Amino acid sequence: MEFNRREALLTALGTAALSLFPGMGMAQARKLVFATFTGSWEEAHRDVLVPYFRKTNGNAEIALDPMLSVDQIAKVTAARSNPPIDVMLHDPGPALVAIGQDLVEPFPTAQSKHYADLLPEAQDPFGPAIFFQVVGITYNPEKIKTPPKSWNDLWKPEYKGRVGITNLNSTLGTGFMVELAKMKGGGEANIEPAFAALKALQPNLAAVAANPGALATLFQQGQIDIGPGNFNAIQLLRARGVPVEFVKPETGAIAFKTSIHIVKNSPNAKLAAALIDAAMSPEVQAVLMKSPYLIVPTNKKVKMEGEISKVLAKDQAELQKTFIFQDWKKINENRSAWIDRFNREIKV
Amino acid sequence: MASGRTTTGASERGEGFLALPLMLFYLLFFIAPLLLLFAVSLHADKDMAAWGLAQYAKALSDGFGLGVLFDTLRLGVETTLLCLLLGFPLAWLHRNAGPRWQGVIILVTVLPLLTSVIVRTFAWIVILGRQGIVNTLLLELGLTETPLRLLYTHGGLVIALAQVQLPLMVLPLIDALQKLDPNLESASAALGAGRWRSFFRIVLPLSLPGIIAGSVLTFSAAVTAFITQSLVGGGQQLYMPMYIYQQALTLQNWPFAATISVIFMVAVLFCIALFNLLGRYTRRYSAM
Repeated sequence: MEFNRREALLTALGTAALSLFPGMGMAQARKLVFATFTGSWEEAHRDVLVPYFRKTNGNAEIALDPMLSVDQIAKVTAARSNPPIDVMLHDPGPALVAIGQDLVEPFPTAQSKHYADLLPEAQDPFGPAIFFQVVGITYNPEKIKTPPKSWNDLWKPEYKGRVGITNLNSTLGTGFMVELAKMKGGGEANIEPAFAALKALQPNLAAVAANPGALATLFQQGQIDIGPGNFNAIQLLRARGVPVEFVKPETGAIAFKTSIHIVKNSPNAKLAAALIDAAMSPEVQAVLMKSPYLIVPTNKKVKMEGEISKVLAKDQAELQKTFIFQDWKKINENRSAWIDRFNREIKV
Repeated sequence: MASGRTTTGASERGEGFLALPLMLFYLLFFIAPLLLLFAVSLHADKDMAAWGLAQYAKALSDGFGLGVLFDTLRLGVETTLLCLLLGFPLAWLHRNAGPRWQGVIILVTVLPLLTSVIVRTFAWIVILGRQGIVNTLLLELGLTETPLRLLYTHGGLVIALAQVQLPLMVLPLIDALQKLDPNLESASAALGAGRWRSFFRIVLPLSLPGIIAGSVLTFSAAVTAFITQSLVGGGQQLYMPMYIYQQALTLQNWPFAATISVIFMVAVLFCIALFNLLGRYTRRYSAM
């Protein structure tokens, strides 16, 4: 095992804590802890995934502990030998960080009932994807009468002071930058064109939100009328009666795998694998695809229906053709420099 | 301390014993993490394999980062001044009101503390937004033709923070003004001082402890108000709390995040020391 100071420091702290609270060491007796995402994701998992998992696993005890990806990593890193979480849920960027920091146990694919049925894009033994998140153009149909078609529409002069984006702290903001770079001849390895494009977008920018949730609020307040948005976040707003629509750009939608991982040193590794299998099952994914959840399935056996088939992709073949997955390994290598540059250069 | 000298040794020891649980609590949950933070900041690289002062060199030589620090402190000072400007008349009103109205003023002042910061902050999004109350009013009065940009601006943030933190300023002020002997003002008036002169020579100096206490509270709350800063300030105006969050969580660069946290803490402590010094200086001046 590689020895470094971060680990030594944390182990020392952990040992000190253990001697103070001896009960902490008896982790085997605890429930399976699944750190899902907050908000609608938690709701979906609590209502559909948890009951299915308990039914198929002898009523095993499970607790949801919803938090952001980055917080999951911080928590597990702080207690590597005795992690407070058994199963993590991650956006692609943090997933690679977690794997890179050796926080993840490989998923036993050979014993899995459903792993082989996942789309190739979703398969990864270090953390299979249980749903896709999709980013497209969102707009207020009361203010913008002709629905936008392409990302290029954001630069139209008529949207002066109407466009909202997020900064690069979020997966959404970072993914949008990469897509911008790709549109203008760059990509994950060459972000330069994205910054040039963003500079050109500045007259149109009404707001750079701190996170996607804050961006959604701005739609509600009429502060912005158009911008990149997460398909699922928009459904939530629509359900509350906010006038907002989602369009898949003609060049394709930005897609992120949301992957699920067994935490290294989890005392509940077996149950963790069972939960992941349940999350991949067509039974769970088919229900989650329907309203009100509208979560994009990764299992080939789930037939696309309803809003998702109408707005995103009518079947798996179209999904594979029109969802643009990005190279987060390269993105992670450069993200720190991008954030630094975004902090300095983009002023609204 | 003067009061310490008058007590006997035995009761002093007894008092110390009473404070022991809190001291232990602080040691375990405040001092220890702080030392750990400091230890993390003394690593030269992101993976924390080598010790060194590289992070401090990087942070202190970076004009951008120092700019963020300066903006944050400026935000604190502006919020504090606005709070003082709004809070002093309110505290004054409280002092001169009858008991029933005093109760009402206290209730109105404390009421915001009973709602969550998030709720208060969201209310400000509604107020300052493009279709918010302020803009609607300005448009209807014909004072402007296009909605003003108030949300996600530095000015808008100062206003929102001032409202959110106002109780922290008003409560110490009310306390200080209440301790003020009304006879002093009468005496000053009887000796021929005008109202303003009495105010500046008598009331203001004597309420300085309240002003300093309120300012320290408001200032430290305003510079660290992560939620209000990010929701009303937006993702573009970078202040230290968001900068630290970005480095620690989004980028997982713990040593650098720890370093800028330490620098931020030292800077805030320095400002607070400055407040106190200012208070002591003006008190001496006014006593002349």
